[in-house]
Amino acid sequence: MSADMQGWGVWLALSAACLGTYICRAAGVKLSGHINQDSEVFRWLSAVTYAMVAALTVRMIVMPLGLLATVPLWLRVLICALSLMVMVSRPQRRLVPALLTGTLLMLAYGVFRASP
Amino acid sequence: MTQNRFANRREAFWQGIRDALGAPVLVLFAGMVGFGAMGHSHGFDVWMTGLTSLLMFALPGQVVMLEMFISGSSLLAIGFAVTLTSTRFVTMVVTLFPQLHRRDRNPLLYLWVHMLAMTAWAVSMREFPAIAPKHRLNYFIGLALPCWLISPLGTVLGYFVAGWVPAAVTLGLVFINPLFFLLTFTEVKPWVNRIAIGLGCLLGPVFYMWDADSSLLLTGVVAGSLAYVVERRWLRARPVEVQP
Repeated sequence: MSADMQGWGVWLALSAACLGTYICRAAGVKLSGHINQDSEVFRWLSAVTYAMVAALTVRMIVMPLGLLATVPLWLRVLICALSLMVMVSRPQRRLVPALLTGTLLMLAYGVFRASP
Repeated sequence: MTQNRFANRREAFWQGIRDALGAPVLVLFAGMVGFGAMGHSHGFDVWMTGLTSLLMFALPGQVVMLEMFISGSSLLAIGFAVTLTSTRFVTMVVTLFPQLHRRDRNPLLYLWVHMLAMTAWAVSMREFPAIAPKHRLNYFIGLALPCWLISPLGTVLGYFVAGWVPAAVTLGLVFINPLFFLLTFTEVKPWVNRIAIGLGCLLGPVFYMWDADSSLLLTGVVAGSLAYVVERRWLRARPVEVQP
C-alpha cells in the first residue's frame, strides 16, 4: 500500500469517477428532452439499454471480480438457473422467494466450503 | 385503469417508497455492504469508501475505480474507464424520462437523475406503463430516494464488519445484485427488449474478452440494434388494412 493511497491521489480518482458518472446521467437528461416515447429512436434505445444491462449482469455472474470468482462457474450458473425456475414457477411475481433461493444456496455453499 | 391507480402525487410517492422497501433496497444494501468490505480489505479509508457510494452511486463503476486504483492506473485511465462503464446511464435516462409528464420534464431532473441506478430503472420500466404520466415522477422519487440513501449506510456498515463476517455471508450478499437483475429480465414484456437481453447475454462475454472497458457500450449497440432490426422486420404486427 503506497503512502499516497490515503492522500490526494485517491480523492482525485474519486472526483474524476464521480464527474464521469454524473456527466453520463446529465447527458441522458439533456438527450431525453428531444425524444418522444412513441418514436422509433426510443424503441431502438430501449433495446440498446436492455442489451447493456444484460451484458453487465452476465459479466457479474460469469466473470466476477473478488470473492464470487472463487465459486466454480458451473455452480454460479446452476444457482441462477434454480432461482429463475422459482421466479417463473407461477404467473405472479415471485421475486423475493427467488432472490432468497439464490442467496441462501450461495450461503450454503460458503458454509459447506468452510467446514473441514 | 391507468388514470385511477393513485388519487394524487403524494400517494404515488408513498407507493414508490413502499415498493422500494423490499427487494430494491435489499439488493442495493447487500451490494454496497460488499463494496464497503472490498474498500476495507484494500486499505481505503472509510470516508472515501462511503462518499463513493453517495456521490457516484453506480456499483459497477465503483468496483472498476477501486480495482484500477489499486493496480496503479493513471488518473486519466480511471476516469475514462469509469465513464465508459457508466455510459449505460445515458440510455437508461433516455428510455425512462420521456415517459414522464411534460410538466415534470424540467431542469429539476438534473437533480433527480443522480438517484437513478439500475435497480430503480428496472422497477420503473416495469411499473410506469400502469401509472398515469402525471404521477410517474413522484413514484420514481419515492422509489429511488431510499435506494440512494441506503447505499452509503450499507457501505459504511460493510466497511466496519469486514473481517469478522464469515465469508459465506459475504458470498451471499455479493451474489444478490446480479441475481436481482437476472430475475427482473423475466418480467420484461416487449419482444424487442427480450431479444436484446438474450443477445446481450451471449455477446457480452465475447466483447468483454476482446476489450473490457468498451464492452458494455459495444454489446449494447450491436445486440440492441440487431434486436431492433429483427423485431421490426419479422415480429412487428403489420398495420391492418381496412377492407372497403
